[in-house]
Amino acid sequence: MGYINVRHYIGGMADWGAGGAQVERSSTSTEMFQARPSVGRNVARHLSWLEILANWPLERLICFWLGMIMAFGVVYWLAGISMGWGLQAGNTEVKPDLSGLATAIYFSFVTALSIGYGDVIPLGALRILAVIEGIAGLLIFGCVISKLVSRRQEELMEEIQRTTFDDRLDRVRTNLHLVFSDLGAVQQLQAERGVLPEQVLRRLESTVRVFRGELQTIHDLLYRSSVEPDEETLESLLANLVICLQSLAEKNGSRPSGDGQSAALDAALRSISNLAKEICGECVPRVYAPSLKESMDQIQELARRIA
Amino acid sequence: MAKPEVSEAWRQHSTISRDEILARLKDRALVIVNVMPRETYEESHIPGSINLPVGEIEAKARQLISNSLQEIAIYCAGPA
Repeated sequence: MGYINVRHYIGGMADWGAGGAQVERSSTSTEMFQARPSVGRNVARHLSWLEILANWPLERLICFWLGMIMAFGVVYWLAGISMGWGLQAGNTEVKPDLSGLATAIYFSFVTALSIGYGDVIPLGALRILAVIEGIAGLLIFGCVISKLVSRRQEELMEEIQRTTFDDRLDRVRTNLHLVFSDLGAVQQLQAERGVLPEQVLRRLESTVRVFRGELQTIHDLLYRSSVEPDEETLESLLANLVICLQSLAEKNGSRPSGDGQSAALDAALRSISNLAKEICGECVPRVYAPSLKESMDQIQELARRIA
Repeated sequence: MAKPEVSEAWRQHSTISRDEILARLKDRALVIVNVMPRETYEESHIPGSINLPVGEIEAKARQLISNSLQEIAIYCAGPA
């Protein structure tokens, strides 16, 4: 789901109750959940009203804003009818008829947007109401604007993250393929006559180094990534990894102990083995499909043979 | 089979203790999520926790908790 800050209370209710801590019975939280399954509300204890407002979807925010302006307009108009102190346009009081209502709503918009032409002015206590509307209008309008901006920004961020992620996976796949063919080439080189063992060793060393880097990436992907690759991609990655490891394990088994040991090569191999050992269906943080788990277990098995 | 070290570290990092939850019951930064069925939740739950049954996580998690960086503690019945 992309949440990166999740922690598990393993003891659960059993542990909680056993410790004698307070529990809550069927509470308003549940009813709230069923009645209003919308953003933020259920986590109300974590949010102030302004944050709740900011969490509303854009459409609702705009509707609320327009509704508020209309409501204020009607109130100005009604105040003019019933209490005698209403709005004043020029030097005449706004009439309590339909055109008066239109003027009141017009005044409401001008106030909420903090334009304030001053062609219609509020009288008496309506001035207080107008100030309140001005403040509320500004706040909500600010939320609308920030929502618009951040929405675009979020889209962009997601896009960027996805492309770089896909790019990286693509690169890993290509490199794994390279490693595999290189291992084959090394084998061939070894079989040929007249090639110095050092040459073979150097080639093998560089291949193993590249392999180590890619393995590290896959390891990180399984353990740390906040983005989840789709199963198909992961499957092909793991399959590639398996054949590379297989090839490397064979290579390692057939390597005569005499032919020029290299400390760098040994270190790289050890590191590969350590990384690969940590890849198994049981030990990675997430749960994957059985076929993926199988490949992971295979990887761990091969890692043992390399070390 | 011995569990790999990193995995162990990961486990420790991603759990939360009873004491910490108890201390942070009123902390706004921590959302406590109960993943048991609604009926079980109604019977008893940690005060202030919200209910998000396992089957509904896919559908409702984004609605309930829109922020991916939100600190979340999840719990269920625990080892029986």
